[in-house]
Order: sequence, then C-alpha cells, then structure tokens
Amino acid sequence: MLTFAILLPFAAATLLAFAPLSGGLSRAIAVATAALALLALVVVWAGFTPGAGFQAEMEIPWIPALGVAWRVGVDGISLPLALMSGLLFIAAIAWPMEREVNARQYYAWFLFLEGASLGLFLTLDLLLFYVFFDLSLVGMYFLIGRWGHGDAQRAALKFFLYTLAGSLLILLAIIALVLMTDPLTFDMRELIALQPVAGMDLRAGLILLGLVIGFAIKTPLFPVHTWLPPAHVDAPGPASAILAGVLLKMGTYGLVRIAMQMMRETFATYALAIAIVALISILWGSIVAFAQENLKRRIAYTSVNHMGYAVLGIAVAGSAVTGHEAARDLALTGAMVEMVAHGLITGALFLIAGAFWARTQDYELGHYGGLAGNAPRMMAAMGLASFASLGLPGLAGFVAEVQIFIGAFAIWPWLAALALLGLIVTAALFLGMLQRIFFGDRPPVLDGFADLSRTEIGILAALLALVVLIGVWPAWLLDMIGAGAALTFGGG
Amino acid sequence: MLWALPLFPALAGLALWASGDGSRLRLGLLAGGAAAGTLLLAVLAAAQGWQGGFAWGAGLALHLALTPLSAAVAITVPAVALAVLIFAAAHEDARGLARLLGLMLIFCGAMLLTVTAADLLTLLIGWEIMGFCSWALIGHHWRDRANMASGRYAFVTTRLGDLGLFLALMATWSGAGALDYAALGRLDGVPLALAAFGILIAAGAKAGQGPFAPWLFRAMDGPSSVSALLHAATMVAAGAYLLARLHPWLADVPGWSGAVIELGLFTALASGAVAVMQGHAKKLLAGSTSAQLGLMFVAVGAGYPGVAVVHLVTHAAFKAPLFLSAGIAGDAAGTYRLREMGYMRALPWTAGLTALAALALAAVPPLGAAWSKEQIAAAAMHESLLLGLAVMVAGALSAAYAARFWFLAYGPGNAVPKARPHWPEIAALGALALACTALGLLWLGPVQAALPMRLPEGGSLEIGASLALLAVGLLAGLTLARRETATEPHAADWLGLPALIGRGIVRPFERLATLAARLDDSVLDAIPRGAALGARTVARGGRRAWGAMQADQGLINAAVWQVAAMTRALARLGAGPGETLSDGLPEGAARITGRTGADVRRLQTGLSHHYYAIFGIGAALAILFLIFGKA
Repeated sequence: MLTFAILLPFAAATLLAFAPLSGGLSRAIAVATAALALLALVVVWAGFTPGAGFQAEMEIPWIPALGVAWRVGVDGISLPLALMSGLLFIAAIAWPMEREVNARQYYAWFLFLEGASLGLFLTLDLLLFYVFFDLSLVGMYFLIGRWGHGDAQRAALKFFLYTLAGSLLILLAIIALVLMTDPLTFDMRELIALQPVAGMDLRAGLILLGLVIGFAIKTPLFPVHTWLPPAHVDAPGPASAILAGVLLKMGTYGLVRIAMQMMRETFATYALAIAIVALISILWGSIVAFAQENLKRRIAYTSVNHMGYAVLGIAVAGSAVTGHEAARDLALTGAMVEMVAHGLITGALFLIAGAFWARTQDYELGHYGGLAGNAPRMMAAMGLASFASLGLPGLAGFVAEVQIFIGAFAIWPWLAALALLGLIVTAALFLGMLQRIFFGDRPPVLDGFADLSRTEIGILAALLALVVLIGVWPAWLLDMIGAGAALTFGGG
Repeated sequence: MLWALPLFPALAGLALWASGDGSRLRLGLLAGGAAAGTLLLAVLAAAQGWQGGFAWGAGLALHLALTPLSAAVAITVPAVALAVLIFAAAHEDARGLARLLGLMLIFCGAMLLTVTAADLLTLLIGWEIMGFCSWALIGHHWRDRANMASGRYAFVTTRLGDLGLFLALMATWSGAGALDYAALGRLDGVPLALAAFGILIAAGAKAGQGPFAPWLFRAMDGPSSVSALLHAATMVAAGAYLLARLHPWLADVPGWSGAVIELGLFTALASGAVAVMQGHAKKLLAGSTSAQLGLMFVAVGAGYPGVAVVHLVTHAAFKAPLFLSAGIAGDAAGTYRLREMGYMRALPWTAGLTALAALALAAVPPLGAAWSKEQIAAAAMHESLLLGLAVMVAGALSAAYAARFWFLAYGPGNAVPKARPHWPEIAALGALALACTALGLLWLGPVQAALPMRLPEGGSLEIGASLALLAVGLLAGLTLARRETATEPHAADWLGLPALIGRGIVRPFERLATLAARLDDSVLDAIPRGAALGARTVARGGRRAWGAMQADQGLINAAVWQVAAMTRALARLGAGPGETLSDGLPEGAARITGRTGADVRRLQTGLSHHYYAIFGIGAALAILFLIFGKA
C-alpha cells in the first residue's frame, strides 16, 4: 500500500510528461492521483496500531551486496508527516495555477515531487532516503525556476546548490554510518537497533556534524537559512506551500530518524549545541521576520522560527538526560505536532500569499490596506492561519509549542525561558501583517480586489479545519505520534 | 458537564457572528438570550457542583471545577454580559453589530473557561483566547487603522504577561509532573518561585498593573460596550481573579505576598492620580479600573482573596454602567472630552442612574462597593497601619475621580446632546445600577455571615477615618471638576509611561529587527557566496590536485564548491546570453524539442548538467569509500 502511494504519483507524472493531454485533464488527473495516494495512506492509518513499531512494511531485495533494498514502512514519526504531506499536495495541486502556462508539465512536476516526498517519509532504506531527498530538490527546482516569477531562476539555483551541498554532506555521513555495519546494510530498522557508531569518539562526532549541517540547511536553521527567502519569494504560491510544508520537514525528519535514532549516544552528547542553534533560529527568525516588508519574506522567516521550535523539541528528546523520559517524550511529540501544524498553517499562508500575487503581482505590505471590506473570506482564512501560527490556544500551533516548551524547560530551563520571547515577536509581526493588509484605508487601486474563489476557500477550509481540529482535540494526533516517541527510546 | 458553561456562549457567539448583521431586535434578543442562558448554566453549575475533564493527549489533561470563589465570578460574568449585550445591541453601529455581539459572547466564553479552569493548561487556553477577543474587539472599527494598532498593542502587552503563565506552567510541570492547581502545592524552591511570580506577572499584565497599565488606555479605542465588558467582567478582572483563586498555594512563597501588595498599592495610587487628571471620559474610567484592581491585589496580598473577589463583583456592578454611560455621553457630545459634556438637564435618567454607579465607585455607604472597599482597608490595616492608610488614600482618590467624572459628564450644564439613548440602553444601565444598590445588602450582618470566606475585622475608628478621607476626596473631585481647564497635564497620559515604553522598548526593538534583517541579507548570505568564491580560488590552483582530493573530507567540500562555482558560472552564462537567445526564439526552441517550452529546456540543460555532475561525483565518492573504506 505504501509502495503504491509512492509509485502512483511517479507513474502519473510520467504519463503527464509524455501524453499530449489538455491542461484541464492534466489537472484532473493530478488531483485524482494525489487523492488516491492520500487514500492509500489513510488505509494504512486505519490499520495502524500506535506503539507497535514499524508497520505496513514491505521489502524487495535490490542490491543485496550493499544491503540496499526497496523497504517501506511507517511508525508514529513518519505516518503523520506522510499524511500531512499527502493532504498538502492535494491542496497545492488543486490550487489554481498562478500563470497558466504548460499546465501539463506543471502538474507532472508536482506529482513527481509528491512521489519523492512521500517516498522520503515512507522508505526504510537509507540509500532510498537519500535518493528521494535529492529527487525532491529536482522537482522543486523546476517548479520554482519554471513557474516562478521575478528572479526565479537565480532563486531556484541558489536553493538547489545550497541544499545540494547539504545533501552531499548527508550522503557522506550516511555512507560513513553504513560502513560501520558488517554486513553492510542500509536498513533503517537494523541501523537503529545496531547503533553503529556507539562508543566511537571523533568519527561519530564528524558524522553527526555532517548530518546536522546537511539537515540544518534543509530545515533551515540559523545561519544556513538564507536560501529560503528568495526561493519563497520567487516561487509560485503552491510550490511555496509545498516547500515550506513538506520539504522543510525532510530536514527535521532526517534529524529524528537518522541523527537521533541511529546515533543516540552521539546525538545526546551534542544535543545542547543543537538546542542552542535552534534557540538562535527561533529568535533570529522571528526578529528578522518582524522587519520584513515583503509578505512572502515575512512568512518565510517565520518558518525559520517555527522549525527552530521543532528542532528544539528534537534536541530535548535526544538529550538522553536520565530521569526526564516524560519530558523528552513530551518534547518529541511537540516537535512532531509542530511539523504537522507548521505544514498545514504555513502551507495555507503561502497559498494565500499566492492568491495575493495572482491578484496584484505585489507582495509589498505597504501597498495594501483595508481589504477586510472586500475580501472578508481572505481575511478570515489569513487571520485564522496567522493566529494559529503565532500559537493561539485552540489552534494547532499552540499544542505543539506548549509541549515543546514544557519538555525543554525540564531539561534546559534557561533555554526554554529565552525561547518564550519568540512568542511575543511572532504575535507582534503577524498582527502587524494583518493590520497592514486588511485594515485601515483601502488604496483605490485595490477597489477591484477579488475575494477568494470557491475553489480557493474550499482548499483553505480543509487545511484550516484540521488546524482547528488538532487545536481543540489533539488526542488523536498525539496518540498516533506517541507510539513513535516511545519507540525512539527503544522497544516502545 | 461544566464544559457547557464556557462552550455555550462561545458557540452561540460564533453562530451569531456567522448569522450576519440584521435588525437590532433580532441580534439583541439572540445575544441577550445567549447571555441569559449562560447565566442559567452558571447558576446550575454552581448549585450542582458540576465538573469537567478532557484528555488532551500525551499525558496531559484539562480539568474544570468550581470553588465558591470561582462560582461567584462565573455568575457575575454572564450577568454583567447580559446587560452589556442588550446595551450594545441598541447602542453600537449597525454595521458589524453581529460580529461585535458574537465576539463579546466568545469573550465571555473564554473568561468562563479561565474562571472554571482547575489546571494551568486550561487556564492558559482561556487566558490567551481572551487576548485574541480583546484584539478583535478593540479593533472593531477596523477602517481606522489606529484602532487595530491599539488592539495589537493590547494583545502584545498582555501576551508579554502571558509568558509568565507559560513560565509557571513549565516550572510546575517540571517540578511536580502535573499541571493541576494542587500540583503548585507540591513545588518548592526555584520552580515554586518561578510559578508564583510568573502567575503574578500574567495577572498584573491582564489587570493593567504597574508597567502594564498603558494598554488599558489603548484599549479605550474599542466601542464603549466592549470597554464595559473588558473592564467589568472579563480580561482585566481576570487578573485579580487568578491571584485570588491561586492564593492558597502561593501565599507562602517568600516575597510573593509582599510583591502583590506593593504592585497593587503602587498601581492604586499612581493610576488613581492618573484618573484624577484625565480629561477623557473613558480613559478616566480606565485609570480607575487599574486603581481598583490594584486594591484587589492588595486584598489578595494581605491574605484575603475572598475580599478581593467580593470587590471584583461590586466593581463589575458599578464599572459596567459607568462605561455604558460614558458611551452615551460620548455619543451625545461627539467626543469623549469631559469638558464638552454636562447632561444633567438633557439626560436626567442617565444622569441619575450614573450617579448611583459613581457613588459606588466613590465607595459611599450604603452601596455594596463601599463595604468591599472598607474590607480591603481593614485587611490592609491588619497587615500594617501604613498600608491601611495608603489604601484609604487610594479610596479618597477614587472618590475624587468618581465625583469629577460624574460632575463633568452629568453635572449641571447646558450642552445639547447630539444623540439620545434608546430605552434598552437606559434599561441596561438601570439594571446594573439596581445591582449596585442591591449589593448594599452586603452591609447586613446575616448576609456577611453567609459569605463563604474569611473576613478581616475592622474597627469603627478605621471606618470613620476612611469616611473622612472619602469626604475630602469627594470635595476635591468636585472642586477639580469646577476648575476644569482645557489643557490636561502630560502626566495624565499614565505619567509618561507609554512614551517611555515607546522610546525604551518598542522603537529600539524595531531598530534591532531592521538591523538583523540587514545583517541577514548581507553577512549571513555571505556564507554561501564566500564559499563559492573560495571554491573558485581553490579550483584555479587545485586542478592538479584533483586526484588526491577525494580522500579528504575538507577537500571534498572544496570539490563540491568547485562544481558549485563552475555551475554558477554556467548559470550566469545561461542567464546572460542564454536568456536573450531563448527570449528571441521561444517558439523555435519549443518546436525543436517538441515537448516543453523554451525556458524549461534551458533550465533542464543547465540543471541536468550540474545535477548529474554532482550526483556523479557523489556516486564516485560512494564507490571509492566502499572500496577503500572496507580495506
């Protein structure tokens, strides 16, 4: 079933790439494919038993000599991410194109990207993980460079080279990690059980460094985040939504799955350093976002802030301070919820940003004002997403952040206390953003500004409904994850 | 079951909001009905001792429960809201009325969640949702961007205080492993101190105490019915409620009670002085709220949380009608400048009802508010003589600003009102004034005996001194009102505190953010640019070392960057002449390939080039590692 979810988008992408179909038909096929992929994941979810380790597994030998195989399976860590990605891909694909050129290729690349993204979360083979990691870069590169606006190609290239440099570090680290096993295996489950670098000194640290830098670029963390704003600004809205919602999660997912789970001891040694980088990202991301005058740049920098929370949670979870198992469990659950919540919330925000571009070709906050009058639906959607992003209780972001804070405080109180300051800055910057776009006098050029169409509001409603659901009734999601969190510390 | 109490008004409010604007009668009936239903639920919940629980997940749970103190507040909130909503339905602008009333109901729901909360997480949820409601309500007239800015100011300021609650939450969990209030009792040392002072900061921020006071002025940009609800029954009052509710676990924390008293007393005197100076009707009342909340803080700090809650209730009964009345006078004058008013002759009913509420604010017996204020003075007296006297001085200040408010707004004058109140507005005002009067029953011994709380014993000498000071205050207020001049002192703007905050915190932060953004663009982005440059240099000199490179990780990086540099150069080539070429012959290129457009083709050639180049190197490295690494 998982294999189906991965391969179906690839197959449909191939079909769209070569078959001479009309734009409308391509779109229909793409939406249907994405829906089917999500359906397959939901079927897996229906049969999922929280706390029982990897499930829905499948293994087909590929290169036995190197221990490489087509391995798929999910646990409480990967299933929520895969489900969220599946949903977000439907949203991004169904979202109206900003520039209706080469619709067929556009949808083909989106499906290609979906296959790579789902593959990354669902595979249990480290080599395939790397392959999917790189393939996702390719898909995003094309979507930004080809359908972006402004200086799209430069932004796309910067994104590509920067993250590719990171992925090479990851490749080296993966190879070094795998070389410690005998016989060679790329099987994630075995690597987690073996802990191949346990007890090693400097080499283990170097491997971890490679992984952390590589994933930090992708996440992105301070100070290797500067590829993110230009990539977002010039990307089409739906691609931005996927970039923020799905691709950034690959960094944090890699940190959990590889750095934390496969190198438990080494990770614990350097957990504090990672937490400090996360803290700086939290504060820096929010402060820099506060000063942005460009709508998309502002949202982009809040991603640095939010992913900082997620990484803080991961660092706490991996710190292996004994006697604080409950706190670490809480922090990891929080980090996972943060990833899901950020995907949904920021995904929605970037889609809305895309709607602004489609209407005015302008991201300058100073050029807006008074839109609450003629775009109340837009105001409602963006307001809800903004408050969710700044962590208002009753919405998903709060669930994540409060757990990360509680967990972090038990391990490093001063660090958690400092991280709290991010909450104030994000509140100020999101309210400022809403204020400038929707309230006050409306410039005459915006008189004809159209509210969200039925398609647009339908898509956003689906994403935001989930944000509210997680916010008011988080138990179902926490239970799904909790299993994975327990697994992390061995045995479930 | 107790969940019904916060959820009913919140859901009703959402439904009302969604139903859209319509006739005032319909909206007023629906909103009033929802508030009445909530009141009924509150009474039932208090009588039958409802409770509530909800599994949050990840080992956390939400709990709701009522104590006698919280039941009193839980009944006060919808009762005040009922009158305020009916007033609002008749008084406020028709445009956006459904949103206004709906949000006010949600506001009540959030307040009731805060009041019924029995653990810190539930508390934090209600607490922060109140912040959201205040933002939306203060900025209700959003076409004026200044209103939204004020809403933002209120939200950010109170959220700064909320961080204290976050801190308390984290400290409690790490110290006791649970979040229910009782867990506070299992804390000691630093976590306990963090929790206690964190809660104090949160309460102080919502209640407009000390340095947090200026947000109350900014909040005056909201409609006057919003101010009435915000100051009397929700948000601001929540600060004092929280301290009273958690007092049993925090009273013994070293330095805590003293800090509560100092904060409260300082605010009662400073805000009182501000209110005496203010020439803006609503800001005068805002200053008075801050001062009255300060008195409640003093009561809690002195060890009488019950007294604080009684004053909270009597305060709600007089502060709501005062704000409503300020709204009527403001509409009549077209401004909130007190010296433009004077409606005794034109609006006798309003003037009379307001007089009752103003007398309650001044704490004139036999009104209930006078009793609760005397109790606070007695409690303070128990603490120390000086504190007792200081509270009495604060009482004199409240008499002064109450007298000044009433005399300027509704005293003798010939002002012709531009608008007159409708009967529902008068009725709402009357109902609240009646409640003020009815609370006078508190002076009766049997009623006092029935109160489920400890009361301080006061002497008749103290009451005498207090009344004498009160009379002085009243006279001073009337005198000041007669001599009202056009210019108000600068200190009336909260003793210059807002300007200080603006210059000392807000602007420096904005500068910091701008600087950080510039650094981010220039310095941090130099990392990749520098790496590319370095790689180019290495590439120039290191061509011959190519073969040896692959073994060493540092050089491998250099190799990667060499490729990066090469591809960058390629890209530049593509971006320069390539662009011209492809722009010139887009269709031609497309026809040649027969598949994609011209620029995708250009991208693809550029991309596949570096992608495969780097992937190839990666693969080669992998193989080399496999060969040499195993050996």
